[in-house]
Amino acid sequence: MNPSHIGHHSGERPSHAFDGDATSRSRSDSDREVAAPAIALRALLSVLAFGAFAASAHAAATPAVISPADLQFFENKIRPVLAEHCYKCHGRDADKVKGGLMLDTQEGLVHGGNSGAVIVAGKPDDSILIQAVRYTDPDLQMPPKGEKLSDQQVADLTEWVRRGAPDPRTLEAKGSAATYGGVGRQHWSFLPVKKSPAPVVKDAAWCQTPVDNFILDKLEASNMAPNPPADKRTLIRRVTFDLVGLPPSEEEVQAFLADKSPDAFATVVDRLLASPHYGERWGRYWMDVARYADTKGEPPKIMGRPADPRYPDAWTYRDYVINAFNQDKPFNQFILEQLAADRLIEENAKKTKTDIAKMDGSSRAALGFLTLGNRFDGRMDDIINDRIDVTSKAFLGLTVSCARCHDHKFDPIPQKDYYSLYGIFANTYEPEEIGQEPWIRSSLPKTPELLDYLAKTDELKKKEAAALQDFRAFVQTRIVDKPKRNELLRKIQEVEREVSDLETTHPGAPARANAIFDARMPHDYPVLIRGEAANKGEVVPRRFLDILSADPKKRPEYRTGSGRLELAEAIASTANPMTARVLVNRLWQQHFGEGFVATPDDLGNMSSPPTHPELLDYLAARFMEEGWSIKKMQRLIVLSSVYQESAAANPLYTDTDPDNKLHWRYNLRRLDFEQLHDSLLAMAGTLDPTMGGRPVRIESADFATRRAVYAYIDRTNPAEILTQFDFPNPSVPSGRRYLTIVPQQSLFMMNGTLVIETARKLTHRPEFLESGTDDERVTSLYLAIFQRPPTRQEITISERYVQNNPGGTSTEAPASTRASELQSQQAQRQIQQAQRAAQNIRGKNVFQGEPGAAAFTSRAPLDAWTKLAHALFQTNEAMFYD
Amino acid sequence: MSHDHHHCCGVSTNIEDYFLTRRQFLNRVGLGLGALGLATLLPSDLLAAPAATALNPLAPRLPPLPGKAKSVIHIFAQGAPSHVDTWDPKPALSRMDGKTLPDGGIAMGSPFKFTKMGQSGTEVCELFPNLGQHIDDMAVIRSMYTDIPAHDVATVFMNTGSLRIPKPSMGSWVIYGLGTENQNLPGFISLRSGGLPPGGAANYQAAFLPGVYQGSSVNTQAQSVQQMIQNIRNQYLAPAEQRRQINFVHQLDEIQAHNLANEAALETRLNSYEVAFRMQAESTDVFDISKEPESVRAAYGNTPQGKQLLIARRLVERGVRFVQAWHDGWDHHDKLQERITVKAGEIDKPLAALMTDLKQRGLLDSTLVIWGGEFGRKPTKDRNGYDEPGRDHNNKAFCTWMAGGGVKGGIVHGATDEFGAEAIKDKVHVHDLHATILQCLGFDHTKLTYRFNGRDFRLTDVAGNVVQPLLA
Repeated sequence: MNPSHIGHHSGERPSHAFDGDATSRSRSDSDREVAAPAIALRALLSVLAFGAFAASAHAAATPAVISPADLQFFENKIRPVLAEHCYKCHGRDADKVKGGLMLDTQEGLVHGGNSGAVIVAGKPDDSILIQAVRYTDPDLQMPPKGEKLSDQQVADLTEWVRRGAPDPRTLEAKGSAATYGGVGRQHWSFLPVKKSPAPVVKDAAWCQTPVDNFILDKLEASNMAPNPPADKRTLIRRVTFDLVGLPPSEEEVQAFLADKSPDAFATVVDRLLASPHYGERWGRYWMDVARYADTKGEPPKIMGRPADPRYPDAWTYRDYVINAFNQDKPFNQFILEQLAADRLIEENAKKTKTDIAKMDGSSRAALGFLTLGNRFDGRMDDIINDRIDVTSKAFLGLTVSCARCHDHKFDPIPQKDYYSLYGIFANTYEPEEIGQEPWIRSSLPKTPELLDYLAKTDELKKKEAAALQDFRAFVQTRIVDKPKRNELLRKIQEVEREVSDLETTHPGAPARANAIFDARMPHDYPVLIRGEAANKGEVVPRRFLDILSADPKKRPEYRTGSGRLELAEAIASTANPMTARVLVNRLWQQHFGEGFVATPDDLGNMSSPPTHPELLDYLAARFMEEGWSIKKMQRLIVLSSVYQESAAANPLYTDTDPDNKLHWRYNLRRLDFEQLHDSLLAMAGTLDPTMGGRPVRIESADFATRRAVYAYIDRTNPAEILTQFDFPNPSVPSGRRYLTIVPQQSLFMMNGTLVIETARKLTHRPEFLESGTDDERVTSLYLAIFQRPPTRQEITISERYVQNNPGGTSTEAPASTRASELQSQQAQRQIQQAQRAAQNIRGKNVFQGEPGAAAFTSRAPLDAWTKLAHALFQTNEAMFYD
Repeated sequence: MSHDHHHCCGVSTNIEDYFLTRRQFLNRVGLGLGALGLATLLPSDLLAAPAATALNPLAPRLPPLPGKAKSVIHIFAQGAPSHVDTWDPKPALSRMDGKTLPDGGIAMGSPFKFTKMGQSGTEVCELFPNLGQHIDDMAVIRSMYTDIPAHDVATVFMNTGSLRIPKPSMGSWVIYGLGTENQNLPGFISLRSGGLPPGGAANYQAAFLPGVYQGSSVNTQAQSVQQMIQNIRNQYLAPAEQRRQINFVHQLDEIQAHNLANEAALETRLNSYEVAFRMQAESTDVFDISKEPESVRAAYGNTPQGKQLLIARRLVERGVRFVQAWHDGWDHHDKLQERITVKAGEIDKPLAALMTDLKQRGLLDSTLVIWGGEFGRKPTKDRNGYDEPGRDHNNKAFCTWMAGGGVKGGIVHGATDEFGAEAIKDKVHVHDLHATILQCLGFDHTKLTYRFNGRDFRLTDVAGNVVQPLLA
């Protein structure tokens, strides 16, 4: 409770209220009960509600004294009634407050109106408010004009007064800095990053980088030693899966084995970091964090009908991210562009005195970070909340969206700070219709495709105008004709759909940025008490979070445009203790399977303490010193001994450090969905290395052979294959995926057409067919799938498996009979039907076939060698790397 | 790795807490792994585990409280069935038929007759002659209400208790809390006959719960099981040949496990192959209603809903925890009389057959049957209905009924006003219904929680009160 509030009411009984016997009695009752040591909660509540302020001291000490049950009751039953039926005339937003009575704050309620108090705590029958809503007195009826509340609502209000009218509203409106928002300010992650020197260790020879000193220091303190390094084959497989998401080719393995120089591993690492596949791997991780999807979740409605759910140009953001990683765009620049690329371009145009139309606008695609979230049926407050959520989690490791309705419960983030950010994102706008977003490139060559696209666009514009005109004309006639109206609406919807189709599929459609712009007349927004739009509080300036500001007392207010650029600068500032720590923790987690902090999107008070705080800070500091270069940071980590340890178990340590917190070995890693999918295609030699462009349906009947990062992600109905393999929910930022092992995954490996047909491709490559002996064939498969030669034992049992094949050992599949051919054709048709049905849900999300998809249409019987390759795909070794 | 035991009251989010000691936990052998526990358990925890161990987030567990219901069949009458034409008779409305109601709009009396049935004498609409036979097992809630009268939002709300943020569905919460009896079938199955329901996968999503708790959506109109469940059948290999292959894979895995020092995760994966292998046969069996006697099939009827509910019974009988059966098409803005007759006709006989069947098999006591939609309809004529009237959306009143596991039969709970415009007596919000369903299954709804992003979430958000009078 606010001290001035307490002071105001202290001691003397307020003169304006509590007149009359009943109220006096009530008050003295309360006083008496409070004085007693064992006070009843209800009595205390009535004291608080009435501000009978002998109890103020207690109230100040425990500001939130309202029982959970009462709070729930108030929120569920009372506040909605007051808000809906009373605030209009008895609230601060009323045009004219009636009778001097304000019911939208606890103070107002206690104060009463011109004619005095309206409630008597614990005495509903004596409360004017209750008498009024009961409609028993013809001269005292509220809400007026016969809008009587329901019996249940009257009963609820009565019960509430009987309980002492417990009312939480003051606390949340006034409590911020002093009470809630102040907790946990000393939490480690809010304190400045502190770079300690690398510790001195006994086994200095083990340390290849300062990272190792920090790791070894802790191991030695526990009398433990790190595992010996992994062998070279294991190592190249590990680092290749890790950095580019694919297995190494046999040539790459051989080159590494042959390279006896001390820099051999560094050579591999540098090659991988320079590979364009690197961005496809690490960009995908960022897309998890950025809750990327190609559809809008709940699209807004056009004239009451849901608009097309697709984002035709989401992929331009995906490609921007992949390129950013490949180019090693400094992370601070990456932040600025994703939050305010448009403003950066403007600033640069001003600085260089260039016409903005002539500036390179390609970084605008970065804004997809903000704009590609769920559209929540066009509800702006939810869209803004999503943007606050993704921004604060992705960059700051803070759950600021928890402060939407109240001060954050665990971190020092007052509700006001939420609305400071809210103001920033609210002062923006986006092109209203599909096909109006800015092009990524300001000019394009006049190819026939582009000309065709432009011609079709003109055509559709005319069609759209005509459809809208027809509808308007019809509405003006005021004729009630539902079928006609529906028909006209359907036509509008149809044109919208055609526009969307054109943008999504036309080969000449220019790539567009999912852009956002600053409002022309920016202004600040009020706090919404309890997050309710109708319950506006204090207007708060647009500015950065209190807890992360260098001097919270002198937080600059953002006055230029929305303030997005200033916000981005504050986030990307070296003075901000969170940003670098959050990113370094993410990188460590992706390299080792575990971060220093287990919850990458939340480094606040609810997170577990970091396993290696000094190392985390060392890396964060170094990251900033080295120009926010992600590749440099990864190179440092990967070239450390700790990354190159073997994963072998050590029975001595399984009891002392079973979780491998101290990194005495490398963790066994399960392939994620993208690694699994891409590695299958890579092994069979069918992976299409084309980069970028529109998304593909990797689950479609003729499986697209592009990398999984290019998969079409339907936010509402993601492909089952993705969810089965722990693909994250694209509606929320996910810094970490679950790792499950479930039978559906096994079914995919056992029966999935992609897996089996990939095995067939692998054994039908010329180099396989040309292998002379069975030994050579088994070896060839082992090298392709596991990047190692088989042992003698493995050769023996593999050959036995082939020899025991009922259909013989030929690499030719047994000639398929007419019957089985028919059967397979039928099966194929059925599957296609099912897939069409699954993809065409009520006409939504229709997807056009993509060129470049390989045709896996055969269900021809399998030969013995294909069965062997398929079996090898199903082994654990193919699903893990160590 | 964190050892914080995120005790969220009744149900811990730390898998290890399901086991008395770490050692005992490691000695359990089960199906697969999942759960946030798992995000933290793989790889570190499991690396330490001795061979031949696994942990199973779907292992059946007892609830913290005694709960009669062991499984749930939720028939979702999607589209918002008119309550005044099904389970909430309004004679006053019929008397006003054609006249303007005090609150505006032209009254539309129900074209259907209601008669008292059973010992309880509850009024049953003539649309449900067969279901009426079970009225003494049913608790009819006439005072349901919800937040928003828009189909997609309200449908997802009925399933997840969330209007805005994607949250786990009721079925996901239930198998998160209870696991499932049959390890060879998914624990939560959403049956549909045709396209996905409005809101799509959001209706059976696990959201922030681990993916292992996601519902499996099955189109019961698909011609074969392989179209119902992805990858359930191998189109290349006969079972014997597949067995030979899996045996060979196991052989290779054992050699590799030796190289990798017997990782528990590897063992778990090996096990999941065995389960998957059995699942092929079991799934094929459970969805094959031709294995039912002719008399049973006839009782349910050879219709989409008949087949679907018979499958639902077969699933529950085999230990699937949560089955949802979608029955859409209840959105009657016009031609209500004709269209609701069709809809009721589709479900009356099959659902009555399901009730009889469950009772005869002694399954009704342990199976909670729920019927209802996402909201109700207005007592007035929809102005777009013209001569063939229907009713517009109404979130202030609708009916849901429950029967079986833990529910008191033969009762009517709550009431709407005289015309059925708004629930006024003993109102039951969607959150209250959820709280009650969880109570039937043995959970205090405030304690079945999951920590996500630093907060404990639950199905009922911060609301919900158990409707005690509904409980047996």
